Amino acid sequence: MDNSGFDSVFDGMDPRVLITVARLRNSEIFAELDEEDLVSIAGFCREENYQDGHIVLVEGQPANSMFIIERGKVALEKKVQIGRHTTPRNATIDYVGPGQIAGFSSLTPPYLYATSAVCTEPTRVLYIDADQLREYLREQPKAGYPIMLKMARLIGFRYRGSIDTLTYFLSIVSHELRSPLAAIENYLQTMLGGFAGELTQKQDKMIKRCVVRVTDLRALISDVVDLARMRPEQIQADFEWFDPGDTGTESIEDVRLAAAEKNIRIRVAPPAKFEPIVGGHRRLRQVFTNILNNAIKFSPPDSTIIFRAWYEADQLIFEVEDEGPGIPTEEMDEVFKDFFRASNVGDTPGMGLGLSIAHNIIEAHNGEIVVRNVGDESGKTGACVRIVIPRNLMTPEMRKREYAKDLQQIEQ
Amino acid sequence: MTKEAYILVVDDDPDILENIVTILETQPYRLATARDGKQCMKMLEQETPDLLILDLLMPRMDGWGVIREMRSERKFDKVPIMILSTVVEDASRRRYELETGMSMDVQEYIQKPARPAELLRLVVKLLNIKEAADFEIG
Repeated sequence: MDNSGFDSVFDGMDPRVLITVARLRNSEIFAELDEEDLVSIAGFCREENYQDGHIVLVEGQPANSMFIIERGKVALEKKVQIGRHTTPRNATIDYVGPGQIAGFSSLTPPYLYATSAVCTEPTRVLYIDADQLREYLREQPKAGYPIMLKMARLIGFRYRGSIDTLTYFLSIVSHELRSPLAAIENYLQTMLGGFAGELTQKQDKMIKRCVVRVTDLRALISDVVDLARMRPEQIQADFEWFDPGDTGTESIEDVRLAAAEKNIRIRVAPPAKFEPIVGGHRRLRQVFTNILNNAIKFSPPDSTIIFRAWYEADQLIFEVEDEGPGIPTEEMDEVFKDFFRASNVGDTPGMGLGLSIAHNIIEAHNGEIVVRNVGDESGKTGACVRIVIPRNLMTPEMRKREYAKDLQQIEQ
Repeated sequence: MTKEAYILVVDDDPDILENIVTILETQPYRLATARDGKQCMKMLEQETPDLLILDLLMPRMDGWGVIREMRSERKFDKVPIMILSTVVEDASRRRYELETGMSMDVQEYIQKPARPAELLRLVVKLLNIKEAADFEIG
């Protein structure tokens, strides 16, 4: 222990304060403070001991205390709710142990805890009154500055840590989950094609079911991965010239089997001639496939889905209309939210990501996606999704050229 | 075809291999398989195939490595190659693969899971082109 400052500052001091000072020094954020500051901070610290399972702080609550964990382990948790009707669950996002801090949020606005913290072992902490600590740091910027630096670093670490985890998770999801799925799909297609011997009618039916379910699963994996990289710039970086007629045809091919299964007819009403447009080809295919799949899921057997497209001034408009139950009026505004599922969906499978992804993609195209009910007094029901895509979008190369032209004009 | 065509299929996933073999077996082709790029190079040395069906992401030596080596060797530079790739979701990545493939004289690009009919169609197409070319040279 360093005794040089001991004589001057600590002389005649309550030994309990000295112990607290030593303990503060063992923590990640107070380690480098002067003794004088530590003595002051020790004044609003106290030891507390918690049982396993004790909730130290609660997400969303006013943050007025900070904890240095001295012994034991604390889980940082966030509430996760999928859909409005399900029970929220707690997901552990990190653990903190001896020397580490829980309750940073008490030092920065809006002073609300960003996570909950729960002891997973019997835990001893040094409890710090954050109101007093904040007051002190405001008055003593010399102490406040190193603490804020440390905090910025810690937050940076946690942030980078979560990005790494996400990237890792995404690569696992996209490759490790997709590869076995591709193998399964290959086998199924091979069997269906009769390459492994003739199938009985029953086997043929079951394998077709497998294909539909596996296709759904593949779409779901893509959806989950996509949701995480759905920033408009990422979508726009892939803009290219393409024939929207091809995209429509591809989407219909994607859902062919699912439609055939319920004997649903997809009636196509294209414009006289499709003109090439700029946009995310694969992304739009995903939008159409999602919406067609959605329509098929909610359509009664033997019904018809209308898939139409037409040009209007500077826009290309698509509509998918089904004969399903439609969407309850009061839930109309919610359908494009993540994990939203209408209250009248019953047992229809799905996670409710499709429309929210479609919405993100169309927004990145500066377009519009709306849904309306098409029912009438005769008892006819149905939902109609309309997608509007502007025809003045630019590929990354076009944007680069525009930018260069602008620069030239500025120079002249 | 005057003689039965020899096709080499390379993928690190044994199930994908078995599948493709099951599909191609229905036709009068001679088939061989390899599980990675290194093994593929060895088998190329033993006998030059009429068509190579090649996965990209593999241990030891990946598909690009195989293509680079083949295209730099005279005796392999006319072997038709069909890339068999796992679904690539991002368009820029897909474009990169297509363009790189084209610049290296890769003739076809098929995504897993490959539909049997599509696979057979492309195989027949590539073998026909090869036969016509051989005829001109011969």
